[in-house]
Amino acid sequence: MGSQQRDFAEFYGTAADDCLRAVLVNVGDRDRAQDLVDEAFARAFASWRTVSRHPAPAAWVVRTALNANVSWWRRRRREVPVPDIAAVAGLAAAGDTASPPVDPAIMASLLRLPARQRQVVALRIFLDLDTGCTAQTLGIAPSTVKAHLARAIASLRDDLTLELQQETPA
Amino acid sequence: MNDTELITVVRDSFTGVRATTPPDQIARRGRAVRARRRNPALAGVALAAGAAAAAFAVSTSAPATHPPAQPGNVQLAAWTVAKQPDGSVRVTIRELMDPAGLQAKLRAAGVPASVTTIGAQNASCRPYPASSAVKAKVFSSTISPLFPPSQQPLATTPAPTFTPIIVLLIHPAALPAGTGVQIAARFAPVASHGAENIQTGTLQRPSLVYASPACTGS
Repeated sequence: MGSQQRDFAEFYGTAADDCLRAVLVNVGDRDRAQDLVDEAFARAFASWRTVSRHPAPAAWVVRTALNANVSWWRRRRREVPVPDIAAVAGLAAAGDTASPPVDPAIMASLLRLPARQRQVVALRIFLDLDTGCTAQTLGIAPSTVKAHLARAIASLRDDLTLELQQETPA
Repeated sequence: MNDTELITVVRDSFTGVRATTPPDQIARRGRAVRARRRNPALAGVALAAGAAAAAFAVSTSAPATHPPAQPGNVQLAAWTVAKQPDGSVRVTIRELMDPAGLQAKLRAAGVPASVTTIGAQNASCRPYPASSAVKAKVFSSTISPLFPPSQQPLATTPAPTFTPIIVLLIHPAALPAGTGVQIAARFAPVASHGAENIQTGTLQRPSLVYASPACTGS
């Protein structure tokens, strides 16, 4: 195995789970997220010499996966892809033992966020990128990243606090 | 709950989500991507082969060609039929241009089914008088509300269409002997609001029917 391939394998081993979670937050479908991440990693492999020099290769993978998602839908139906909240809940209800489901309340709260907020959450929370790198990846100002993250956290707190109150009646 | 605790809760809730594709499979796919870039002619060949494979997957059940771990699974843009580990079958419908295709895939997944658009139900099907308790065991369904423009792509799409998604979970094991399911749905454009096309999705309450070759295929 060449050094480039070893580098890539190491990158894949450390970043694949986080990238999958970041894409899942955005597309809402586990299988589709896996397909998109696989495709993005394959493209990263094909351009590893360039991607490895990227300041945040995992962010490159996530952005490539999300762009692939948009392109895929455009080619077929000229529609905006939408997250399937009910499918996620259905998956949880079905008890997918092969891959433990995400808490449906948390997933539903995330999918209710506006798209840009979800993208920021994906990069800041799941990839642990700093504000500057997130802004560069999404092509927006750092102050906009901060605003989106603050709004997303406020929405999630409202949703999840309500959820906890409903689960534990006084 | 402060910000850090909230972020921890959200992050921890995803710990069960793990990438399952082996790295060598990614590398193989990556080499194919690289080869197509170097020789664009290969892209056409690969695309044609992919289209043929997809057409085969849609037009035939061919369960033997599927890995045993996921019998009957098929992913399409318009709808998805996915067998769940507990034996139930999850149907996600985004449009119903090809009810016969969905019907065939459901039957291949072990659900005796009749699938049509609303108003074009199969006249050969006879309703089975199931109690609501039985129906509740066989079906659970959700129709998502009309989606707001909740997910903008990283670049703007000029004319988005907002369409609902129907999700139906069917438990074949709960079907009374000699019965099948009847599903009828309709997707239709209802409005054009500025640059946005809006559709409605309607799922007629799924029902049980007596299974027969003319109705449910068996």
